[in-house]
Amino acid sequence: MGNYKEILSDKVFWSSILVTGVMVGVALIVEVVAGVSLAIFFGQKLRGSKFVRAILITPMILNPVVVGLMWRALLNPQWGLFNWFIGVFGVDNPPIWLSDPKWTLWTLIFVDVWQWTPFIFVVVFARYQALPMDVFESARVDGASPLKIIRYITLPLVSSAVVFAAIFRGIDSFRTFDLVYGLTFGGPGRSTTTLSFYSFENGFVYYRYGFASALSYIMVIMATIGFSVLLKWIPVRRSH
Amino acid sequence: MTTLSRVASKSVSYVTLVVIAIIGVFPIAYLFLLSTKRRIDIGDVPPSLKIEWSVVVENYKEVLFERSYISSTINTLIITSVVVVLSLIIGTPAAYTLSRLKIKGSERISTTILSLRFMPPVAVAVPILLSMRFLHVANTRIGLIIPYVAFSLPLVIWILIGFFDEIPTEIDEAAEIDGANKWRTLLQVLLPLVRPGIVVAGIFAAIFIWNEFLIGMYVIDSEALKTVPIADAGLISAQRPIDWNVAATVGVVTLIPLLIGSMAIQKHIVQGITAGAVK
Repeated sequence: MGNYKEILSDKVFWSSILVTGVMVGVALIVEVVAGVSLAIFFGQKLRGSKFVRAILITPMILNPVVVGLMWRALLNPQWGLFNWFIGVFGVDNPPIWLSDPKWTLWTLIFVDVWQWTPFIFVVVFARYQALPMDVFESARVDGASPLKIIRYITLPLVSSAVVFAAIFRGIDSFRTFDLVYGLTFGGPGRSTTTLSFYSFENGFVYYRYGFASALSYIMVIMATIGFSVLLKWIPVRRSH
Repeated sequence: MTTLSRVASKSVSYVTLVVIAIIGVFPIAYLFLLSTKRRIDIGDVPPSLKIEWSVVVENYKEVLFERSYISSTINTLIITSVVVVLSLIIGTPAAYTLSRLKIKGSERISTTILSLRFMPPVAVAVPILLSMRFLHVANTRIGLIIPYVAFSLPLVIWILIGFFDEIPTEIDEAAEIDGANKWRTLLQVLLPLVRPGIVVAGIFAAIFIWNEFLIGMYVIDSEALKTVPIADAGLISAQRPIDWNVAATVGVVTLIPLLIGSMAIQKHIVQGITAGAVK
């Protein structure tokens, strides 16, 4: 019990809840919007799109620790290629992405979006591909504009796939730990310490097993509550 | 006019396509490039595209042999294949049961299984280590295989339930009328139909295991049994600054088996996901 009291009066615990919340919320929204747009975009079947699709899927199979390291190199303030690249487009004095606490959380979210938008894309695109094409044909014949088709036909038809992908992504995002480990190690300060990472740090770095386990239990409780609420609102599995 | 605007919108589409490709491939290409550099050349901006083969050989020799990534890769291959096969052997009948047989509360069982995926690995790492010690398999491959199967199953079962749900029950009934029992129906009639689902489930399980390192760090102590992600994580916990050329080489070595694997099964991924999407 002592551990729980300690946790509840622990500042880092509350800040890590905030960090986790912002990260899951923002990353998920961006990923869903970008993933769905990509799915619709790739539905045009341009030449060479198969090849680009294969490239696009790659980030999601990479080891998040390696992804974190890779972006640490890209965003390096001295020699990272990213700053050079945006410099070409006239951005001078870029922020120090991984050391300025004002920016680190957004950098983490950015990398998460880079890695995981493909997941949403793959799931939604697959559903989109399986839709009967004659629906779109007849709408086009009836003179519906492309935007109207997307709004009133495509989106409602793929919505269940979007929900499925978003739930899985949300779960994994809530547990995010390996990307933080590779990219920022929770810092600077506590600006990117997620709940999961904080629990890991206590268990594996400080050997405070009791504290770490109590923290994990709190995560499980939060997840269970979140999950039951979600299931109430959204039927994941269509009843048959 | 219409042709002109069509051409314009086509070219906008193609520019977008190229931009997407660059965003996707650029960081990975950079990783490859860094892995061909000497440590002192890392600071060049932009990096020169000239590749010195002697440096490449040196970097990769260090990672593959001195850091024993060869044995880590073999380890990971063994563990991943065993786990994928076991999860499919256990998961397929489970998914069939939950989808087909009218068991009381099967809906609740399947959501409980899904909720297991909510469990943060951090939460169970210590209990898993203790259980593996209890079974005397800590610091062995089996000690990793058991928890990995447990972690893969929820995903595998859930993907397969979706595929089984898609197959009309009339097919089962027809098989039953022809005198097949449940096992034969599953093995000879339904299994071929859910094959795309099995491929997808196997791929997702493989990706997960290929990248898992938290449980691995707890369970595995010995250098010889480390998997690739455990070795990768070791790069960071080292107290000295990172040698970026070595780190990049490690990154490339980590992702190459996955790249080869995903290219080999690309066709199945698309086919499998498309089939599952009918849901």
